[in-house]
Amino acid sequence: MTGGTGFIGSHIAAELARKGYRLYLLARSGRQLAGHERVEQLLDWLEVSPPDLSKYRVVEGSLEEPHLGLGRAGCDELLEEIDEVIHCASSTSFSERKRAEVEAANIRGLQNVLEVAAKSRCHYLHYLSTAYVAGKNGGPCREELVETDQFTNVYEETKCRGEKMTARICAEEGIRLNIYRPSIVYGNSQTGKSLAFRGLYYPIRTVLFLKDLYETDIREHGGKRAKEMGVSREADGSLHLPIRLEAHQEGGINLIPIDYFLEAFMAIREECLEGGVFHIVNDKLKRIEELIGYTQRMFHIRGIRACYAEDFEKVPRNGLEILFDSYLEAYGPYIRDSRIFDNKKAESILRKRNITCPDFDFDIFSRCMRYALDSGWGSRLLKKRQ
Amino acid sequence: MISEPAKKTAAQCRHYAMCKIDFLGTGLCPSGQTKHYVSYYPQGRMDIYHALANNLIPVTQGLIDIARSCTLCGICDKQCHFVTGLRPMKVMRALKEHVESYLEENGEIKGAKEDPILDRLQGIVGEEWATKDPATLVAYANDPFPLTDMKMPRCVVLPRTRDEVVEIVQLSRRESIPYVVRGNGGSVYGAVFTDGIVIDTNRMKGIEIDQDNWTVTAQAGVTSYDLQQEVSKHGFRVNVAEPAATVCGNLVCTGIFSTWSSAYGIGADNLIDAEFVDAEGRIFHLNEKSAPNLFAFKKEVSPAPGICTQAVIPLHPVTEDEEGILIPFSSFDQALAFARNLSKRRIGLAIAVLGNHYLSTFMSPSADLAKRSKKVLQDTLGIQYTVFVIGDRYARDAIKRMTTVAIDNRALRMLMLGLPRLLDGEWIDLIEGFESDKQPFEIFCREGMVPILEAILRPSVETFSSAVDEDLKDFYRQLYSRPEMTDMVWLNSFRIVSSRMARHKHVLPFLVYVPLDRVEVIQGILSELARVADLYGIEHEYGFLTPLDLGKRGILEYDYYIDQTDEMEKEKVRRAMAVIEPFLDDLARKTKGVMGFKYVFSQGCSRKEGFLYL
Repeated sequence: MTGGTGFIGSHIAAELARKGYRLYLLARSGRQLAGHERVEQLLDWLEVSPPDLSKYRVVEGSLEEPHLGLGRAGCDELLEEIDEVIHCASSTSFSERKRAEVEAANIRGLQNVLEVAAKSRCHYLHYLSTAYVAGKNGGPCREELVETDQFTNVYEETKCRGEKMTARICAEEGIRLNIYRPSIVYGNSQTGKSLAFRGLYYPIRTVLFLKDLYETDIREHGGKRAKEMGVSREADGSLHLPIRLEAHQEGGINLIPIDYFLEAFMAIREECLEGGVFHIVNDKLKRIEELIGYTQRMFHIRGIRACYAEDFEKVPRNGLEILFDSYLEAYGPYIRDSRIFDNKKAESILRKRNITCPDFDFDIFSRCMRYALDSGWGSRLLKKRQ
Repeated sequence: MISEPAKKTAAQCRHYAMCKIDFLGTGLCPSGQTKHYVSYYPQGRMDIYHALANNLIPVTQGLIDIARSCTLCGICDKQCHFVTGLRPMKVMRALKEHVESYLEENGEIKGAKEDPILDRLQGIVGEEWATKDPATLVAYANDPFPLTDMKMPRCVVLPRTRDEVVEIVQLSRRESIPYVVRGNGGSVYGAVFTDGIVIDTNRMKGIEIDQDNWTVTAQAGVTSYDLQQEVSKHGFRVNVAEPAATVCGNLVCTGIFSTWSSAYGIGADNLIDAEFVDAEGRIFHLNEKSAPNLFAFKKEVSPAPGICTQAVIPLHPVTEDEEGILIPFSSFDQALAFARNLSKRRIGLAIAVLGNHYLSTFMSPSADLAKRSKKVLQDTLGIQYTVFVIGDRYARDAIKRMTTVAIDNRALRMLMLGLPRLLDGEWIDLIEGFESDKQPFEIFCREGMVPILEAILRPSVETFSSAVDEDLKDFYRQLYSRPEMTDMVWLNSFRIVSSRMARHKHVLPFLVYVPLDRVEVIQGILSELARVADLYGIEHEYGFLTPLDLGKRGILEYDYYIDQTDEMEKEKVRRAMAVIEPFLDDLARKTKGVMGFKYVFSQGCSRKEGFLYL
């Protein structure tokens, strides 16, 4: 398994261990911790029991190097042991200026994994992709390989290229292939637990940073800077933050919790014998207005509202809005998404097992944000090496 | 008994002579002002203590006088901390204590040796102004340049007039005694040492402004800082460089290159006339037909043409709407192209492409804060290089139309006075989490973001001075309450922060004139200098580049940093120079527009066309 120290990969690894599978986790050493130490920390966080831990073997290597950084002998040893490969490792950066880094991970890294899979006994390969390989296609997005060259960003493009490369090589080598395409994955819907706090979490974190900033300004420094930005305290104690976010008439964000994804992944893996492409998505989109409502309700804020492009022509963006506008440049296509993800294949399996995706309601939102805050947006999650 | 902390501090003196100019408004070392010898300034006392600690000099009456004349006023601590982070007061105190305890133990006081040459020098300048006391001589014997050894002079003499200089030179010639002339010795290239006579021009302080004719005449001992101060009172500017360097010396040695050279030129552009005393003791002026042709340039390492006893330099007009502006870039090529474009179009008076080391060092009151803020500029905000410009409002308007992000003086003041908070973890996490095709600086340094940044950074003199030692906080608060301390025009005119580039270690600059339209040549020079530094384990950084002559040429500085007290580091530099010099010479032979600075050194009066185009 690659990407076993990532958000989605670590959950899959934990679940497989609980089910009795023997796992080799390819892990890189971090700046502070060796690969096996990182894995141990994660499995502890995921509450994997000691007997299950014995099913892991951490292989310290690197996706981007030939032979996965294990050397020929180390790699050959691994080849003898593998029946199944789960490839979760990926760069999730959207930024074109990081293209070299993204291609290194998502293309060259993938190539190295496929080489290993092809030489091994592997008969089943699972490729963690993304629903957004659909690119800028309007209309329904099917559970099949995509033909397009119009992508929102380098991440979508490289994941799409990755799918095609994987499909070709698996076909050549006779390896059964499942491609999993989740939409945007957030924390656990029951507990709020998460490892990753980008994506959905980032704008909330920014709002809270600004809230704290201006509340401090009002409380301790006379509120001059708050006043300059039109920020004020309302009579009910809430903070008025004048932020307009550009919305579209149609579209919203497709969110799924990690626990749903995990259930879906395990079910599809077990049930699907012929291989295929599977959309693991929510049937319902969340409008930006709803997310704004949740945020304001939970954090006692007023003044944030969705509006349309013409509003900004009348009143230009203030500094707060410039900040969010820059965020929306990268995430806008996902927040104002009107694509429909056909998920019949996935649904046919999930329905059998009564696996359904919960609606991202206020309870789940507040659970996830509470966890994010308590963990310091991830900074207090895992123990650092002494 | 020698104090080890004091000894260590004394060994680190950078010799930039900043303690000889009142650049912070603190006043000067009282004894230095009256006695004029370097030995009576903090720099001199640092050298004396270092020499005592290494048993290089005896205790003499002169040394006792130097030690006792220090009033422990603390001015040197403020001045030196501002530039280098050093605290020389411990050395001043240690010197006094050493001398007093030596005397209490009835230590021998060595007398000065008889020397007829000294007698004759004193006959020229007066008894007070020539000496061979070792305590004074040692302050003229050394600097941090790693490739020269200490050289104790025979005598040091301080003339006050040109005619006294003439007599000294004639005496030296008759007696076949070598001499060097020294301004403030701030070149730190080991060039102003001799075992003969050191002529220190520190007493030659005459300045005469001719407003009607747009000229100012400065004598040999006038520093850049003092001249700029004087002319600015009348609403003018002069093109001068390092603040503690003497104008005449700097002109002759370097031709004065600075960020202002974009507009004001280099070499002979900076001179209307100059008066020299040659090696025969004869006086000549640049503009005399019969004078040596110092306007001509010859590509060879040349000695100075004589002692420049005064120079007449142009006064430049100043408009009330001049301000500084910074334009950040994520690559050198982009920054260079932008700076070149400005120069071609005659936009801006001062232009430079700065690296992050310079930018963070100029902004930060401590070396630690500079190091951390450099990392933030580079890794978090994505700023790799910055184009710095001084211009009037028309120039700045033009620049704002040419770019999407520009940091004006208000924003820079905010960044400087809020710098400690710029490094705050929460804020950094937020920037680093930003997913965008744009570099973070393209978003966070936009004009619309300034009010938000002000709320985050809470810029104030209190915030700024939180980064310095407790006992200096009050001083920094008062200092940075003065608007000029965060004003790019003032800072660039008086250059008081540029001497900080060697705050953490002594700097060895490599200066090369380059063809600005050949970016691959410039990149090649940068790569090779970096490669050689890495090969020998020498710390190194890009410094700056200023476009010249309508963007056709430029002057490039790349810096090596060494611990001047470490013999190993000196050896590394020796080996590196053995690679770099032939590389630059070979490149200059093959490439038009490339000229190593060593050939221009001491030919500062020459026409720039000579060394830029021929």
